[in-house]
Amino acid sequence: MLELKHALDAKGHCLLEMPSGTGKTTTLLSLIVAYMKAHPLDLTKLVYCSRTVPEIEKVMEELRKLMNYYEKELGMEQNILGLALSSRKNLCIHPSVSKEREGKVVDGRCYGLTASFVRARHGGDDSVPVCNFYEGFDAHGKEFPLPPGVYNLDDLKEYGQAKGWCPYFLARYTITHANIVVYSYHYLLDPKIAEVVSKEISKSSVVVFDEAHNIDNVCIDSMSVKITKRLLDKCSNSIQILETTISNMKENDNRRLEREYQRLVEGLRDATIARETDMALVNPVLPSEILEEAVPGTIRTAEHFVAFLKRVVEYIKTRLRVQHVVQESPAGFLRDIHTKVCVDRKPLRFTAERLASLIRTLEISDLTDFSPLVTVSHFATLVSTYTKGFTIIIEPFEDRAPTVSNPILYFSCLDSSIAIKPVFNRFQTVVITSGTLSPLDMYPKILDFHPVIMTSFTMTLARPCILPMIVSKGNDQVAMSSRYETREDTAVIRNYGNLLVEVAAAVPDGIVCFFTSYLYLETIVSSWYDQGIIDQLQRHKLLFIETQDAAETSLALINYIKACDNGRGAVLLSVARGKVSEGIDFDHHLGRAVLMFGIPYVYTQSRILRARLEYLRDQFQIRENDFLTFDAMRHAAQCLGRCMRGKTDYGIMVLADKRFSRADKRSKLPKWIQEHLKDTNCNLSTEECVQISKRWLRQMAQPFSREDQLGISLLTLEQLQSEDMQKKIQQRAQAA
Amino acid sequence: MKMEFTLCFVSREAIKEDDDGLLESNVAEIVARAKRKRAALKATGAIQLGMMRHLYVIVDASECMFLQDLKPTRFLCVLKLLEMFVHEFFDLNPISQLGILTTKMKRSEQVTALAGNQKKHIEALQQMKDTPCDGEPSLQNSLERAMNGLKNMPAHSSREVLVLFGSLTTCDPGDIQKTIKSLKENNIRVSIIGLAAEVRICREIAKRTGGTYNVLLDDHHLKELILNQVQPPAVAGSMEASLVKMGFPGGKPSSNDGASDSAADHAPAYCLCHIENETSCLMGNNSGYNCPQCGSRYCELPVECKQCGLTLVSAPHLARSYHHLFPIKPFIERAKVPETTYCFACAKPFDESDLNVYECETCNQIVCLDCDLFIREILHTCPGCASDPITAQMKTN
Repeated sequence: MLELKHALDAKGHCLLEMPSGTGKTTTLLSLIVAYMKAHPLDLTKLVYCSRTVPEIEKVMEELRKLMNYYEKELGMEQNILGLALSSRKNLCIHPSVSKEREGKVVDGRCYGLTASFVRARHGGDDSVPVCNFYEGFDAHGKEFPLPPGVYNLDDLKEYGQAKGWCPYFLARYTITHANIVVYSYHYLLDPKIAEVVSKEISKSSVVVFDEAHNIDNVCIDSMSVKITKRLLDKCSNSIQILETTISNMKENDNRRLEREYQRLVEGLRDATIARETDMALVNPVLPSEILEEAVPGTIRTAEHFVAFLKRVVEYIKTRLRVQHVVQESPAGFLRDIHTKVCVDRKPLRFTAERLASLIRTLEISDLTDFSPLVTVSHFATLVSTYTKGFTIIIEPFEDRAPTVSNPILYFSCLDSSIAIKPVFNRFQTVVITSGTLSPLDMYPKILDFHPVIMTSFTMTLARPCILPMIVSKGNDQVAMSSRYETREDTAVIRNYGNLLVEVAAAVPDGIVCFFTSYLYLETIVSSWYDQGIIDQLQRHKLLFIETQDAAETSLALINYIKACDNGRGAVLLSVARGKVSEGIDFDHHLGRAVLMFGIPYVYTQSRILRARLEYLRDQFQIRENDFLTFDAMRHAAQCLGRCMRGKTDYGIMVLADKRFSRADKRSKLPKWIQEHLKDTNCNLSTEECVQISKRWLRQMAQPFSREDQLGISLLTLEQLQSEDMQKKIQQRAQAA
Repeated sequence: MKMEFTLCFVSREAIKEDDDGLLESNVAEIVARAKRKRAALKATGAIQLGMMRHLYVIVDASECMFLQDLKPTRFLCVLKLLEMFVHEFFDLNPISQLGILTTKMKRSEQVTALAGNQKKHIEALQQMKDTPCDGEPSLQNSLERAMNGLKNMPAHSSREVLVLFGSLTTCDPGDIQKTIKSLKENNIRVSIIGLAAEVRICREIAKRTGGTYNVLLDDHHLKELILNQVQPPAVAGSMEASLVKMGFPGGKPSSNDGASDSAADHAPAYCLCHIENETSCLMGNNSGYNCPQCGSRYCELPVECKQCGLTLVSAPHLARSYHHLFPIKPFIERAKVPETTYCFACAKPFDESDLNVYECETCNQIVCLDCDLFIREILHTCPGCASDPITAQMKTN
């Protein structure tokens, strides 16, 4: 909290690592809200970005508790408006649209009911359907702002239902004057969405990225484009639709096309004005220099533009017809496209804008079909805008199936700082926080920013409630490692199996295991089956396996939880970087132990990764190995952190690989794990590990009540105000 | 909203480490504190205690009971301690009944039915030592079985189950939640002692049925945990009070007594508790107790008469259960005072390890933690008050 206050005072960015379950969210919310109340001019808004919808809901619950506390203590209504925003899919209350399962379809149908021209048509002809809720919102909602309070997604829906207003648009409209906004970080990082949703957020805001250990990957994903052959085929179809629509319109209503032409001649002047007055978040897809120019003449008329698009798509198609892997820079690509099909760089830059304008003019209401074309247009704009930090890789086939031709063009962003740069530049304070951010110094480098505060906090605990151990050898003294050379070795696989069986016999309820990849998981499980280890395991616990199929995995998870709940006990085999390792908490009995089989390095043969490593080395002087280890260890830590969700919780963490005990790996674990990782618990054999865990589990099972924590990890108000504690706090403050 | 977030200021000094840099002593302290808390909790207020108890002991006999982390094996260790428990149990709860079940191979077996005869139980326990441990246990099956036995017991008695559970899994045929629900409906209290680690379902069962759940640290701790179960639990809610018919067999035959047939009374006879065994003891004229209702003879009390079902007790037995009803007041915990340098009860001088001392409210004598627990759990009378002539006088009046 102290560090956070420093950052707010300095109006700078900060990077905080706090173990999960220690009140991270509450700390952030309460301090920032208090700061907002104390200095209403310096700090107007809190934007809290989280990862998934359940996490967003959790934040809203914390906020509600905080507000209730304020109300109770101060005895009056608080004038603070907090709300959550999610996609249309989660917020829609339209009777038929909300039944749709897929987010994209909901978006498309919503657009078909609410676009301005559809509504204009509805004005003349009642048979054109519109969304009543949107109409209601448009008619009345803007005049009456949402009363202060805390609204989560359900509250918004309820409110919308009661008033007859569309909750999604209400929320989007309210963002501009709400004090606290909670949403997914794509709304801020993905330039395409940020443009629509977040551009009017004022400069004096605090942005918090929670669970942000993967933020660089999110940034990269939001700027990268993947084009497959199927996508291009769909593009050709959409272009045809465009052509027919244009020719129809020419016959019926030529005036509108002319008007569009005029507008384009005037250029994107409006956008320039907006940017000058500092109204909007800078869109990295649309760099400043092109705003000053008008749309080039070659693509100004609709037919020319469509022909232009056709050429681009055809060109990409020819490029996909390769037999070997091609890697080239954006500059090389531009030169090639210029010589082959005579497309200049300048019109390419405007493709995205021009396409959006055309679709608006043509009054196409069903946007879903056009998403491939939009993807290609984004690609065109990006490739012509950025010459640095990107690379193009064309692979004729997938690595797994080298005989099946399946050409893919990756336009891959190598520099995660591009997407997040506008966020850092615009907002006065950006807080990046997670349970596992170690090693901290890597993030400022790869995200290219200068934090004023960078701290890793540990937990103050009344009892040693995590037990990290590094198991490096089996009972037969054969070293355990997932190293490439030894991973097929039956002795290693057997030792891993024995470790799991023995841990399963000693640990109650749920155990979660993480493997380095799906491939490795499959080979290990099949050889365990041959060695009879699976049978042994099933004598103690039921076995569940995560697969790449999301539905299958969630079914396995439900049954895993059931098995843990009714005392049968279960083992879940899953994969680091998979769905289980990222979003799902195994608190209390659901995860009494986590086993990490091997170090989860990324697949180093991937060309995209290699390109990125090269770029990082050249631009930021980060050695390949450093980055790989950093990435592997943060994922390992993320997996380990799954079992620890609060102070009353306890869990065993077993790192089963010889290499973990090396200093370069060990020192990259978060501080709160390192603190408990004693030298005596490194380099254990299976048997020693089981002995230690048995004893520890008995200690942890002793009754543990609130009173035991009081004075150590929990303070009453009296204890807090006692002189001793005040002194300690003062000391801390001065030392910092 | 408590001030939980202030914890980041608390430094690590608060956690004490022992010489090896381990935190175990911390845990030991927590255990000690819990011990005292439990004792204090028991002693507060005038609570109604279930003196007439019906208790099923469920012993896990699955594969994992062969593990040797308790010596010689878990199973033998538990059986040994149970023998002691049965003895203590009938000593302190003379008018209660006990039954023993085991669970293995996913099934549950009855070893002894609910009965008041401790000899029989102890014999059964001794025989069990040779039975093999096999398969997986089933909590649900054994709880259902215990429930069937306890369901029809009269409402004025307490219904309890004590599970000694070594396994970390349970293999159940159906939804155990339903079993828990019906246990609760039938007012059955389930206490569980885990031998390995905290199992979530056990904790849930104990919590929902109002019992306790503990996991042992070592064999001494296990003994303590088992013996804790000897104390009758407080009655939850309002149990109806009722009169129970009991017999007080006269120890000495008296010729004036016309109630029973004196000729049969005095003749040498086999004692009924051993009548089925070959080693049944023949009793002479002057030993044994006769049931005042039917005249059957028994060599030991307390016992339930085999002939007429009357509970036979002696007056000292009842007196021993009496202290459950009138426990001594809890001692006040206070910081060590420099002027008192030794414990009043054991005369041990206080040193640094005694952070707190305990004072009796009535006689103001100071004792140490160990004595405090000893007085509360075994002695049931304060040595300070007893040695003070005035208070002792007052008490007897």
